[in-house]
Amino acid sequence: MTPFDRRIWLLVPALLILLVAFIGPVGWLLSRAFTQPTLGFQNFEELWTHPVYLRVIWNTVAISAIATPICVVLGFPVAHAMTYGSTRMRRWLIFLVLLPFWTSLLVRTFATVILLQRTGPVNAILVGLGLVDRPVPLLYNMTGLLVGAVQVLLPFVIFPLHASMLKIEPAYMQAALTLGANPVRAFFRVYLPLTVPGLLTGATLVFISILGYFVTPAMLGGVRELMVAQLIQDQIGQFGNWGVAGALSLVLLLATALLLGLLHATVGLKAVAR
Amino acid sequence: MDMTRVPRMTRRGLLQGCSALALGAWGGLGIAAPARAAAELKGKTVVFASWGGAYQDAEKSCYCEPFAAATGASVVQDGPMNVAKFRSMIEGGAPDWDVADITIDFLYAGSGSNLFEKIDTKLVDTSRISPQFVHEYGIGCIVWSYNLGYSTKVFPAGKPQPQSWADLFDLKKFPGKRTLGDNVVATLEVALLADGVTPDKLYPLDVERALKKLDTIKSETIFWTTNSQSQQLFVDGEVGLGLILNGRAYDAANKGAPIALSWEQNIQSIDYLVVPHGSRNRDAAMMLIDTMTQPDNQAKLANLIAYAPTNPAAFKGVDPKIEPWLSTAPDNVKKGFVINAAFWRDNLKTLQERWNTWKLA
Repeated sequence: MTPFDRRIWLLVPALLILLVAFIGPVGWLLSRAFTQPTLGFQNFEELWTHPVYLRVIWNTVAISAIATPICVVLGFPVAHAMTYGSTRMRRWLIFLVLLPFWTSLLVRTFATVILLQRTGPVNAILVGLGLVDRPVPLLYNMTGLLVGAVQVLLPFVIFPLHASMLKIEPAYMQAALTLGANPVRAFFRVYLPLTVPGLLTGATLVFISILGYFVTPAMLGGVRELMVAQLIQDQIGQFGNWGVAGALSLVLLLATALLLGLLHATVGLKAVAR
Repeated sequence: MDMTRVPRMTRRGLLQGCSALALGAWGGLGIAAPARAAAELKGKTVVFASWGGAYQDAEKSCYCEPFAAATGASVVQDGPMNVAKFRSMIEGGAPDWDVADITIDFLYAGSGSNLFEKIDTKLVDTSRISPQFVHEYGIGCIVWSYNLGYSTKVFPAGKPQPQSWADLFDLKKFPGKRTLGDNVVATLEVALLADGVTPDKLYPLDVERALKKLDTIKSETIFWTTNSQSQQLFVDGEVGLGLILNGRAYDAANKGAPIALSWEQNIQSIDYLVVPHGSRNRDAAMMLIDTMTQPDNQAKLANLIAYAPTNPAAFKGVDPKIEPWLSTAPDNVKKGFVINAAFWRDNLKTLQERWNTWKLA
C-alpha cells in the first residue's frame, strides 16, 4: 500500500474555494430541478413533454457536432507546425494561439460582428474581388456562429494535439517510410493514430464548451441557432423558474459527463493526462 | 426594460441637467413632503435599485438628489435590478432595497405574489400621473415604446417611406433586410396589427395568425437579441427598417445614424417604481416615489436621457428637440397604446415556448 501522501493538504485551500464558490451553488441549482415547485420529477417531465426543449437540446448537440470537426481540421496543421517548426516559429505560434485568451470573449465577439457585417471588410473584399456581386449574409446565421465559436475554441484542440505530437518518436515515421509506405499511407496508418489521444481530448473540450455556449449564439447566430444556455437564461431571467433551469443544466452536465466517460473508455483519461 | 441603455451625455444635456437640478431641488423643497415627514426622515437611508448606466445616473440626479435635499434623508444607489435577485430578497425576509425600478411585466407578475408594498396614496400624489401609468403597486416613472424605425438613407424623403406595421411586412414596396426583436412580446402584436387587427381587438392575441404573418418575412428578418444590437443594425446599414425602441432610435440618430421613427400604432411600455414588500423604510420609500412624480424632476430626466414622462405637466420643461422622440409627447401618445401586461403575465411562459418552436421551424 502506498503511504499516505501528506502533500494532499496542499489541496485544501483550492478545494475550499471550489466547494463554496462552485460545488455549493451548482449543487443547489441542480437540486432545485427535483425540488421546485414541489418534490419530484415534474421538471424533467416538462422537458420530455414539451417538444421545444428536446429540439433545442438536439440543436445544441448538432451545432457542437458541426463546429468540432472544423476546429480539428483547422487546428491539426497548426499543431503540426508548432511541433516540428523552428524554435522561433514555435514561440510565435504559441504566442499567437494564446493571444485570444487574453482578450475578453465579448470584445472578440464584437470584433467578429465588425468583421462579418454587410459593410465589413470580409464582404468588402469578396465584392471587391468580384467573387460575389453583393454582400453575403455572414452574420446572424450558422456561418456567423461557427466563425465565432471556432476562432475562440481553436486553442483547445491545438494544445492537446501539440502535446500528443511532441511524444511521437520521429523514428516511427522514418521506419514506416523506409519500410515502403508512401507518405500519405504513413500519415494515416502511423502518425494520425498516435495523435489520437490529443485529438480526442481537444475535440471533447471543444464539443463540451460549445454545449454551454451563450454569448456567441446570442450575438452571432440567428433565431434558428437557439441553444440550451439561452433557454436556461430565459427560464431564470424571465420566469424565475429555477426548477426547469436546473433540469436543463443537469441534462447539459450529464451530456458532458457522458462524453468524458466515452473519452475515458476509448483512449483512457490516463493516456490523455500523461 | 432595456438593460443595455447606452450612456449618452452631451455637454448641452449636462448643462441643462445641472440647471434643472437646481430647479428640481428647489421645487422639491417647496412641494415634496410635508415638513413634519421631512423632519422624521432626517438621517434615514433609502436604498434605490435600478438598471445602472446613464439611466440610473439620471434617476439619481432627478429623483434621489431632490428627495435627499428636501428631506435630509440619504439615498444609496444599488443594482442592477434583477428579477431573480428581487424575488430571493423578499423570500429571505427583509429586502436590501427600498425603491426599485422595474419593468411592466415584473410589476404584473409580482403583484399577485405579494412582492410589493401597496402604493400609499397619502404619501404619493398619484393625481399628477396620467391614469394609465398608475398601478396599485407601482407608479410609472418613464414610458418607452416599440416603434417602426427606418433608414432615411434606404428610404429617403420624397420617395415612399414605411409608416405602418403593414409596411414592415410589405416586401414588394419596401424590399431588403428588416429587423424584429428576438422576443415574443410586442412581436406578435406587431404582426397582428400589420395583418389588420385594430389595437382594441388585439387581446387575447391570435398567436397562430401572428406567426403565420411572421412566416412571410422570416427569411428577410434579422432578429436582434439586445437593444444595442437593434441600434447597431441601423448604424451599420444591415437593415433598412424594423422594430426598435424609441430611445434606441434617438440614441442612434444622435450618433449620426440616418434613422427616423414612425409613431403609428406605437406599443407603449412602462417602467415603474415600486417598494419591495417588507422594506424597512416604507414611508421614506413612498416619499421618494412622490418626488419622482413631480413635473420638474420628470422633465429633467427626459432632457437627460430621452425617456418619456408619465406626468403630462412635465412637457412644459422638455427640450423641444427631444419631445418628438418621446412616447408620451402629445402628438405621439394618442397614436399608441399601452401593452397588455396582464395578458403577457398569464401567457408569456407558453408563448415563449411557442416562439422558440417557431424560431427553430
